[in-house]
Amino acid sequence: MNLRISGVSKSFGTTPVLNDINLDVAQGSRTAIVGSSGCGKTTLLRLIAGFITPDRGEISLGSRVLSAPGHDVPAHRRGIGYVAQDGALFPHLTVAANIGFGHPRAGRAQRIREVMELTSLDATLATRYPHQLSGGQQQRVALARALAPRPEVVLLDEPFSALDTGLRERTRAAVITALERSGTTTVLVTHDQEEALSFGDGVAVMISGSLPQSGSPESVFGNPASVDIAALMGSVVLLPAVQVEHGVDSALGRISVRHDRSGGAESVVAMVRPAQVSLTADDSQCRASVVGVRHIGPVAVVALRTQGQHPTAISLTLPSHHTQSLQVGAVAGLTLDGGAVLYPASAAGRYLTDLEN
Amino acid sequence: MTTSPSRALLIIVVVLVVGMLVPVGYVIEATARIGVSELAALLLRDRVGELLSNTVLILLLGVPITIVLGVGSAWLVERTDLPGRRFFSIVSVAPLAIPAFVSSYGWASVFPSIQGLGGGLLVATLAYYPLVYLPALATLRGLNPSLEESARSLGLREGAILLRVVIPQLRLAILGGGLIVALHLLAEYGAFAFIRFDTFTTAIVVAYQTTFAGPSAASLGIVLALLSVIVLGIEATARGRARYAYVGSASPRPAELVKLGKLAPLAIFALAVIGTLATVVPMTNVIRWSFATNPELLNDLWRALVDTSLLSLSGALGAIVVALPVAWLATRHPSRLSRVLEGGYSIASSLPAIIVALALVTVTLNVAPGLYQTTATVTAAYIIIFLPRALVTLRAGLAQVPESLEEAAQALGKPPLLARMRVTIPLLFPAIAAAGALVALGAANELTATLLLAPTGTRTLATQFWSAASSVDYPGAAPYAISLVLLSIPAVALLFAQTRGKTR
Amino acid sequence: MTATLAAALLLLSSCTGVTNSDDDGAVEGASAEALVVYNAQHEKLAEEWVEEFTAQTGIEVVLRNGGDSELSNQLVAEGDASRADVFLTENSPAMSLVENAGLFAPVDPATLDLVPEKYRPASGMWTGIAARSAVFVYNPELLDESELPSSILDLQSPSWKGKWGGAPSGADFQAIISAILETQGPEATAEWLTGMKDNATVYRNNIVTMKAVNAGEVAGGIIYHYYWFRDSDSGGENSGNTKLHYFGDQDPGAFVSISGGGVLKSSKNSVKAQQFLAFLAGVSGQTILGEGYSFEYPVGGDVPAKDPLPTLDSLNAPVIDPSKLNGPEVIDLIMQVGLL
Repeated sequence: MNLRISGVSKSFGTTPVLNDINLDVAQGSRTAIVGSSGCGKTTLLRLIAGFITPDRGEISLGSRVLSAPGHDVPAHRRGIGYVAQDGALFPHLTVAANIGFGHPRAGRAQRIREVMELTSLDATLATRYPHQLSGGQQQRVALARALAPRPEVVLLDEPFSALDTGLRERTRAAVITALERSGTTTVLVTHDQEEALSFGDGVAVMISGSLPQSGSPESVFGNPASVDIAALMGSVVLLPAVQVEHGVDSALGRISVRHDRSGGAESVVAMVRPAQVSLTADDSQCRASVVGVRHIGPVAVVALRTQGQHPTAISLTLPSHHTQSLQVGAVAGLTLDGGAVLYPASAAGRYLTDLEN
Repeated sequence: MTTSPSRALLIIVVVLVVGMLVPVGYVIEATARIGVSELAALLLRDRVGELLSNTVLILLLGVPITIVLGVGSAWLVERTDLPGRRFFSIVSVAPLAIPAFVSSYGWASVFPSIQGLGGGLLVATLAYYPLVYLPALATLRGLNPSLEESARSLGLREGAILLRVVIPQLRLAILGGGLIVALHLLAEYGAFAFIRFDTFTTAIVVAYQTTFAGPSAASLGIVLALLSVIVLGIEATARGRARYAYVGSASPRPAELVKLGKLAPLAIFALAVIGTLATVVPMTNVIRWSFATNPELLNDLWRALVDTSLLSLSGALGAIVVALPVAWLATRHPSRLSRVLEGGYSIASSLPAIIVALALVTVTLNVAPGLYQTTATVTAAYIIIFLPRALVTLRAGLAQVPESLEEAAQALGKPPLLARMRVTIPLLFPAIAAAGALVALGAANELTATLLLAPTGTRTLATQFWSAASSVDYPGAAPYAISLVLLSIPAVALLFAQTRGKTR
Repeated sequence: MTATLAAALLLLSSCTGVTNSDDDGAVEGASAEALVVYNAQHEKLAEEWVEEFTAQTGIEVVLRNGGDSELSNQLVAEGDASRADVFLTENSPAMSLVENAGLFAPVDPATLDLVPEKYRPASGMWTGIAARSAVFVYNPELLDESELPSSILDLQSPSWKGKWGGAPSGADFQAIISAILETQGPEATAEWLTGMKDNATVYRNNIVTMKAVNAGEVAGGIIYHYYWFRDSDSGGENSGNTKLHYFGDQDPGAFVSISGGGVLKSSKNSVKAQQFLAFLAGVSGQTILGEGYSFEYPVGGDVPAKDPLPTLDSLNAPVIDPSKLNGPEVIDLIMQVGLL
């Protein structure tokens, strides 16, 4: 059963928070909604959960309408699991009692064991209280609790953001495995684009209360609908470019075009990812001077400035041992691998200004 | 993210606020009923001038003295290397366990010549300085020590740090504590009556005893109510936009202690003297007299204990029931409206107990004679007088039960009502119990409203103590005094634990 | 949310309800049957009376204790709604107040017959149940016998400044003022009160006044006699250093105040209430006065005063009809001069 959100809008008082949201989440898939803080993504999740009601639009699960004008299924009858940012574990209940909270009495103990195993929770934790658990364990208990009643959909609200880096990755992997094994339809919201891209089958981008793009992680990362989305999904190198036959000319020389989203604008910018750019001994096509080198353990961030008509700042993260010969002031050659996405220059203004400084 | 409260909740809260404002309504109605000319005749007398100057003087002198004593002892026990800090931190809160009128009776029995403004100041500041000490202690514990360290690195000496960094951050604690002390000073009856210090409250009780709830008591009540409102206004102005809030995050590490050096003996001496004056002096005679008590009195004492327990229990339950909707509204649906409604509560409960009692006598007699002299009316008075104790505790408790827990329960298929019963109420229980205990113990010590409103035949510890002490029957009063002190200890321990636990 | 709150409110209010009814039960006993006495007499004396009365008749009595003025004004404010059956005072102005409001039922003639006419009002709406005499208590170390005032009226002269005390907020003292008012008129009374305001130290009640004289805080004070005898009988802790001076000579300061008892018209237990009043004025009640802890003067049943009290007749008190004493006017005068 697909989760379908169509034309949903929501305001708090006079402040519009969500504007005409449309999203389809296929049964059994995992979709991540990514956006910066305050963009409205948590509100969308709470609308799906039923904690608040939309002003306009409809939310349905398969043929069941959950929320439509004048019709609202309350949260407890939606069969939608919810994992809050801090886990929201009941502090007065043990792990087992937390997990079994939403499950009918019959078969509860059995189900608690199942979901604890599913979420890789050691059975000995069952009698502990939430404050006796680590942050990662708390989040897995929260997921186990949400999965125990076999919901059709599970919603995850930034469930990993409170964890430290190492723990975050391990917990995320464990959660993804558990969700995969249970086959539950999942919607995750996050502000971390890496998390969004690695989470599952779909990514939806939210900016200021709208969902301008959704699709597979590859398409959203590789073919962002706008410069804003491109920048939200990862570091960008934006190059003022001149359209020529079979490509564009830029500070990095001639680049092929993967996608043209310039809409025929006269003046365009070419977006490439830093990972596409590499240093080379050959400086015949593009020369750049080294402006700074900063070592961060095994890697180094090299700040470069292209020479030529439109000097552009590019910062590359390279293995440290590749950068030992680079001194500030040295000149290096750059090559580009793969093509660019074109946008109207007018849409890139703010990013270009940043770069020219 | 706030949602709007349900209509029913709003209606409940509005009805409760209106109920709480009955004493305010009484004051306004009395003003109108008596009329300007008679009011002027009643108030433009030398006697009222004396009362006014006494009342204002005890406020102007008493509040600063309690602030100095309270902040000083809090700073010494929390921020210096004072030997025996732990011991002194408890000594400084101990006077709260001795009701001011018991302390005054103790003092009067040791030094019969204590009287007037000086006597009032002595007894009242010693009884009330813990009311400033506790919030100051809580704030000092929560202060981020890096602020002081920064000041030190900017070249400030200890004294300058205290004045320019620490004290300014104590502003809210000082204002809040000072407000409570001021309201207590306005409402105090027993402590002042013993030592022949006349304020509006003592004069209202005398007027009540002379003419019952007539115009002369009411006219003095109007002035007293005005004084309370002025005190509230001054505090609100001084506080500005700052709010009292419980700081959630504890200081990451304890602050570096200030070295007292040669001043340590002086500090120990000061704290020991204050502690002795506030607890040992008043209690010594009470304890001594209790050995002279006629054992037959124990039967009466037992009866008074039962009556006191029943009355204060019903006050506690009532206060919880009344405070819960407002606490809920304030924590779950903060808005301008909820702040206005909360303000209504705080005005009502800032009125001295004697006015609340006068209002309830008048209102029940004229509007609801069936309620006159019933437990229900005393309970109502206790609710109005002690509501802030319940409200503050319940609000803090509710704030610690995040709404997300209820949502989690709903997402797990529990209807909202069940979600609250199974999640919020169990988690709120400690706060409910604490609120109930604080109100019950306050009610057990209450004197003025109980004297005026208690059902015929009711004898509480406080009224029995008062009746014996009024006829200078020291041995007769002593067991009641000791019972009142013993009863107060748990409440004080609870307050102290709350203060310490909150920030560490 | 609303539902929870409503449920919680219901639950809690029902708990409160239970507490209330329990409490009422405990406090008022078999409340329908018990006599409610608004008692301005000394609590301990009233309890002695009640104990004996209940032992004799099996009738339960509950006391609401307070002062003369408070309870009399309360009765007037309560009117017919009052739950009181009987009203007892220490002084007669409070009785007059209730009588003038028309709230008393006539006292059984048989009860009236127990009390000589001079100790009860002509109206027969209440009766005297005890008497007490004003006295001047003094500390011989501070005041020589030769310096004693010959009349209470002397105390207003500047020579007495700082030398005496009294408790003008109490009904006892106000009754003495009412005697001054009745014998000297309002202007002289106002002058006397002004003198008092200048000269006297104000205490909360008679006991505190006596204690202050005993401790030497002040040389003398106006009180009623029995406080001194009671204290002296139990060891004299608050009176050992003092002596009593009777003004006599029909001086207003020799005033004998009549304590009253009456039955409320609104009483639903009027038979029992009359029975209680008859008990007080009769031999049993008066014997408790005469032999018990009180040291007040019995007025009925020919019961003698307790040793070592001088006889009531020997005090040479001014002759004043108790029903003529005006409480409210006295309070107005006291308020005008600023003693209240």
